[in-house]
Amino acid sequence: MSRSSVFVLAGSCVLLVSGALAQEGANPAGMSPDTAGKEMAKPSPDGANNQDKLFVRQAALGGQAEVDLGKLAQKRATDPAVREFAERMVEVHSKSNQQLLKLGKAVNPDLPRNLDPEHQAIRNELDRAQGQTFDLAYIAAQIQDHQRTANLLQWHISTGQNEPLRKYSIQTLPEVMDHLEQAKATYAALTQGAGSRR
Amino acid sequence: MRKSKLLIGLAAMGVIAGGGTLADPLPPDASYRPLPTLPLDLVRRNDEGAKPAVQRRQQNLLNERYDMADRPMQGVKMSGGRKGVQEGVRVKLRPGTTWESLANMTPEEIKAKGLLPAGFLPLPHVKQLTGGQVFPENQIKAIGDAEDRNLKRFDVDFDLPDHMTPEFPAPIFLTNRPDLGDVSGGKLLTIRNYYAMMVGILTPVQIEGLRLLLTPFPQEEFNQTEDRKVAEQSDGVACLDCHQNFHTNAAFHQTPDVRPQAARFRLDTTSLRGMFNQQIHGSKRSLRSVEDFTEFEQRTAYFNGDHVSATRKGVHLPDRPNQVAMMAQMQNMIDFPPAPKLDPTGRLDPSKASAQELAGEKIFMEKGKCAVCHIPQESFLDHQMHDLKLERFYKLGQVFNDQVALPDGPIKTFTLRGIKDSPPYMHDGRLMTLADTVEFFNLVLGLKLTADEKDSLVAYMLAL
Ligand code: HEC
Ligand code: HEC
Repeated sequence: MSRSSVFVLAGSCVLLVSGALAQEGANPAGMSPDTAGKEMAKPSPDGANNQDKLFVRQAALGGQAEVDLGKLAQKRATDPAVREFAERMVEVHSKSNQQLLKLGKAVNPDLPRNLDPEHQAIRNELDRAQGQTFDLAYIAAQIQDHQRTANLLQWHISTGQNEPLRKYSIQTLPEVMDHLEQAKATYAALTQGAGSRR
Repeated sequence: MRKSKLLIGLAAMGVIAGGGTLADPLPPDASYRPLPTLPLDLVRRNDEGAKPAVQRRQQNLLNERYDMADRPMQGVKMSGGRKGVQEGVRVKLRPGTTWESLANMTPEEIKAKGLLPAGFLPLPHVKQLTGGQVFPENQIKAIGDAEDRNLKRFDVDFDLPDHMTPEFPAPIFLTNRPDLGDVSGGKLLTIRNYYAMMVGILTPVQIEGLRLLLTPFPQEEFNQTEDRKVAEQSDGVACLDCHQNFHTNAAFHQTPDVRPQAARFRLDTTSLRGMFNQQIHGSKRSLRSVEDFTEFEQRTAYFNGDHVSATRKGVHLPDRPNQVAMMAQMQNMIDFPPAPKLDPTGRLDPSKASAQELAGEKIFMEKGKCAVCHIPQESFLDHQMHDLKLERFYKLGQVFNDQVALPDGPIKTFTLRGIKDSPPYMHDGRLMTLADTVEFFNLVLGLKLTADEKDSLVAYMLAL
């Protein structure tokens, strides 16, 4: 990642992060003493803090669950919109997970091997559910998961140090928020209600 | 049959979703201010080192979004007669669009093509991830001279040019002495001069309220601890450091009401003129009285809505029956600036207003729908919060200078009385001129106003 690289977001051309301004927001009261390369106000863009580490772990957990549950829903969902949503989740999150793991290697994250207990509980519930109940349960869980992921990304953008990882978060956030909107819309359609769609 | 199955499904979800605690919630720094981990001298050296890049990045964003040139209107001044009012639309269009072409597109189309002018998006704090209160140079200098108190931060400077901010010092008009006119004498009220300036004009209770409003109290960035952004130990910040002369100097900070940090929106200081007629306070909190706002401002605005940090740094909790009541009474005595063309119902007097102003009022009341929310006989307020749903026009979650662009949600209606005195506009100061606000509402409300109609609306607002 070149230090002077200019990151351009879709639909805009605002200079987001330049190498000269590596992130130091982890603590508004000042960086932590172990911040790599903090001398002269330049936290190293390749350095990482605890927040980066935790972020990679949590994002990997969520990403893995997205793919796992998405594959299940591709097979088991009855509503075409739910199946389509699940397909998109598998495709997008598989790609995104790979990118995350590649970038995340640098911070030696404590990576999970299996689904976490919470997602396992959802998985168990979905295994038992049938027909429309399955569709609803899957989409409801997706709403929650995307809310959490959006918040996780926003938190990491707020507190992380590692520039490649922060760029990943900045790039991924609009997509995750779009999925959240879609999940809410699908839920609303399934329940003939407005749901929480804005 | 189908319905009951559905309900069982939902109930089952409830067990999963609501039953247990989340396996791994976000760490506390997602909501709470972390404790400092470095001595102040190191923090300061780092912050000062980073500052040029911080300022440059913000200037780039501003110049990319707005035409920031100093172009005052001919023959129009703010109420004190000492500062011009900036003219014209300053928000820059995306290439290939005009205001007319945008107005003819659907929100979905504008969103899909990324054509919403960036100046309509939320405006980031100059240093979003650190945040905190930032004062303009004029205030810093005046308070430094008068009180030998330092309001200058070592990590950031104020980001808007002087000509985009309100008249300084602002005139002061009193509801209890309308006969006097501006009682500021062109001076800034400070803890040093307030008594001599106001004795004989105000009551003892009001004078004591004024003293408290001018007394500095510890604040997140200005305090005695190692976690501050001012070089020396600081006595803190006074209410009127932002609400200068009961108006505003465009000092800003971030909403205390949102987390995590990247999601917080900027807050441009509001004027305290006309508080007596305002029934909800704060863009998000909708506090129901000036008393409530006065009492709570010191934990919310002063400490980012973090009572834990407030307690550590020395929060001032004014007592309700005495101090709060006096501070509130003083604020309630502040009038809007005179609007000689308005009659007692808030409508233009046809014998005094120009044809263009009258045309503007007609649009305000009818085609422009403005009066639905800005009700003339209620000081152009409706005491409601409204969700303008700007996010219909842009993709959520884009990040600009570390701020995430998110829906504003319901925001309270601001008054338009004396509006030419209060740039920049909107809760976060994202719009520089009144002409910008007309383009904003033209798009958001789908009005399709003509160029003439837009000009008339601006002329009308200048008369308020
Ligand atoms: C950083 C500068 C700053 C300081 C210092 C400050 N305020 Fe404010 N004040 C603001 C901003 C910004 C708002 C708008 C808040 C919002 O929209 O949520 C505001 C809003 C208010 C309001 C409500 C006005 C409205 O239109 O809703 C009152 C009343 C008020 N302040 C009183 C005070 C008092 C009393 C103090 C001192 C205890 C004080 N302020 C200190 C910036 C400041
Ligand atoms: C649906 C209610 C509603 C309507 C209709 C409406 N406004 Fe507003 N207006 C608001 C709200 C809410 C705000 C504050 C928005 C914010 O800060 O994000 C506001 C803010 C403003 C401001 C900025 C005030 C300040 O102190 O910064 C101006 C100027 C304004 N409106 C002018 C107009 C004009 C002109 C029209 C008609 C073309 C109009 N409004 C129509 C609700 C409305």
